[in-house]
Amino acid sequence: MSNPTYTAIFYLFAAITVFSAAFVVFSRNVIYSAFSLLFTFFGIAALYVFLSADFIAVTQVVVYVGGILVLLLFGVMFTNNIMDTDLKTDVLHAIPGTFLFLGILAALLFTFYTTNGWMPSDTQLQGSVVERIGFETMSRYVLPFEMASILLLAALIGAAFLARYDNGGTNEH
Amino acid sequence: MEQLTTIGINHYLTISAILFALGLYAVMTRKNAIVVLMGVELILNAANINFLAFSHYNGGMEGVMFSLFVIVLAAAEAAVALAIIINIYKIFKSVDVSSIDSMKE
Amino acid sequence: MFELPSGAEIQSIISILKSGLGFFIPEIYLSILFMGLIILDLALKGRNKSGILGWATLIGLGGSFYFIAQQHAMQAGEHFFGMYVLDEYAIFFKYFFVASGMFAVVATLADRKFDAEVKSIGEYYALVVAMVIGMVMMAAASDLLMIFLAMELVSLSAYILSGYFKRDARSSEAALKYLVYGAVSSGLMLYGFSLIYGMTAETNILKISMELADHGYDPLVMILATLLIMAGFGYKIGAFPFHFWSPDVYEGAPTPITAYLSVASKAAGFALLLRFFYIAVPHGVSPYEDILGIDWLTLLVIMSVASMIYGNVVAIWQKNVKRLLAYSSIAHAGYLLLGVIVMDEIGTQAVLFYLLSYFLMNYAAFYVVVLISNRTGSETLDDYRGLGSKMPLAGAALTVFLISLVGLPPTVGFIGKLMIFSALLSKGALYIWLALIGVLTSVISLYYYMLIPLNMFLRESLEPNEKSLNPGFLAQLMMAVLMILTIWFGLFFEPLSEFARYSSAMFGLSLY
Repeated sequence: MSNPTYTAIFYLFAAITVFSAAFVVFSRNVIYSAFSLLFTFFGIAALYVFLSADFIAVTQVVVYVGGILVLLLFGVMFTNNIMDTDLKTDVLHAIPGTFLFLGILAALLFTFYTTNGWMPSDTQLQGSVVERIGFETMSRYVLPFEMASILLLAALIGAAFLARYDNGGTNEH
Repeated sequence: MEQLTTIGINHYLTISAILFALGLYAVMTRKNAIVVLMGVELILNAANINFLAFSHYNGGMEGVMFSLFVIVLAAAEAAVALAIIINIYKIFKSVDVSSIDSMKE
Repeated sequence: MFELPSGAEIQSIISILKSGLGFFIPEIYLSILFMGLIILDLALKGRNKSGILGWATLIGLGGSFYFIAQQHAMQAGEHFFGMYVLDEYAIFFKYFFVASGMFAVVATLADRKFDAEVKSIGEYYALVVAMVIGMVMMAAASDLLMIFLAMELVSLSAYILSGYFKRDARSSEAALKYLVYGAVSSGLMLYGFSLIYGMTAETNILKISMELADHGYDPLVMILATLLIMAGFGYKIGAFPFHFWSPDVYEGAPTPITAYLSVASKAAGFALLLRFFYIAVPHGVSPYEDILGIDWLTLLVIMSVASMIYGNVVAIWQKNVKRLLAYSSIAHAGYLLLGVIVMDEIGTQAVLFYLLSYFLMNYAAFYVVVLISNRTGSETLDDYRGLGSKMPLAGAALTVFLISLVGLPPTVGFIGKLMIFSALLSKGALYIWLALIGVLTSVISLYYYMLIPLNMFLRESLEPNEKSLNPGFLAQLMMAVLMILTIWFGLFFEPLSEFARYSSAMFGLSLY
């Protein structure tokens, strides 16, 4: 598609995503990182809409922003006293890390731009995928769906056990 | 110019590559466990962009379904991770991955 | 636009799902057991709660053998739209993982530290069962999505289990390290999966292999994807460049969980590795193979050699028995990888047999470590001094298990190594060097393994008291049985090796 408005909006969201993600990584303050991640998740959700995955975009907003990010913020606030100035997260091995970052980025981009190995197709996904997701979930993806429920149950009871406050070892009786 | 104005699969792959590299950088260089976790979330999101981009351009539903399950899983993983990190904080009064090292080589 | 499927289509989907259900009974049973244990935990009150839950888990897991045994009669094939595959290979690992779950429960029941550290044991047994479900699914998954979900179920349960002593600093630290490395490597693996999906537009591993064979592939993307996926698998099997978590996690985690991770989780990684690399990834001579001079096989060879050398050499300096066994488990991952790179039926048979022998000797060694730390409260090598006279049976049994881990006759470990090396030798010149490295590193391992019996029998205790430390009748019986089994299968290994050969049949495999 080469509609200029479309292109401009795409670049806007792409820029939001990339720059806020960079801020997450390079910021020295955990709180700033966490809030910056909010913009990354929103930007990615917008990109999903461009990819005609509207349902995934909504799920991204609900689960990532509403769930995971809130959890992360809770984590930051639990483990740091906000009034403290000591919110900094120190950088370890910054120089080798930067080389690694640039190396991986270059390798991935080189691979992506030189390859023609992606499976092409004449029929792209168009329009809304909500109905198709519903259909797939209840047909081909029944087993992963059930598997995910066991996984969530295990994660739930495990996380509840670990985070639960209990004092003492065996003074149950 | 044609390359820039026509949004194709490479645009999405570029964004995903940048997010992936940034996430890996956070994992490698950051000492705060929560920031490491944010890096992991960036990697998962990069993979999700890939899945959806490929799915969009090859017309299949597998990538869309895959990314949905990845989001489910990321939520579960974040919950468990935060529980562990809060537990660590109770004991060590720190979430600094490099200072939590009570076992010696 | 999406067209709603017709009534006939929906009927056919329902009938496919219904027919798949019949092949899925052990997993359904285990899921019910998992939920039942959570409910039982809530319902039970009173003093003996942890014992009752433990025995309930043990009996429940044992009951699943009945359902697994019935699957031998079933036709190998894919079910649930290619998500799940039932074949002899998957059945082998079902037995393996259920048995290892049972052994983890046995070791837990023997471990006194749980009584002191843990207030609520209900979640523990439920998560052990959840991990069994995840590992069973790992061995039977034939879709990238199922592989990912199953691996994550195993990982999430394992994070929590390794941090189960939540007031203990080392256990919590183990959980954190396991989590950080696990989350990163699963992210890398996922990115690799996304590249594979981009190349083939399929997530089913059989269809991926067909697609790659039909349309060819870009070797650069392929090697990138393989590297990333290897990070995920390498983490699970604990092989060299992805081993960083294992010493700390093995040392810090509760000992039954250490044993469980070192045997079952590693075996699950190998189950996946074999199926994925034998079926999904192309092999054989193709015009694409030799660009860059590396393919996945070369990567596996490097991983294997590095694991054997690194694990065995670093283990020499260890002062903690659990940590020593952690490094030894890295080395064993290297030996097992040798069997993987043979890439034929004998190699697969050797890997499966080695896993069985590793199951027996490693679990048994950790069981004795649990019993000793019950009495002495310590796992350091120095505290093993003079234990041979105080716990003669434990000392003798541990010596047998360690001899087996070295790979000396007449134990089951010897047969395992012999099968791996003979599978290598039958493949030709290059492989002889690999076998030679394997033998040489085994010689190194003799030194550090024998440090333990040396301390137990030949060195005097640091604080001499002649009190005998009897570990109890049931524990002694268990040790004696395990000791006899280790030697028995070293002499009469026919049934095990036949079972391994029978189980090396994978559905959809065209490699051998």
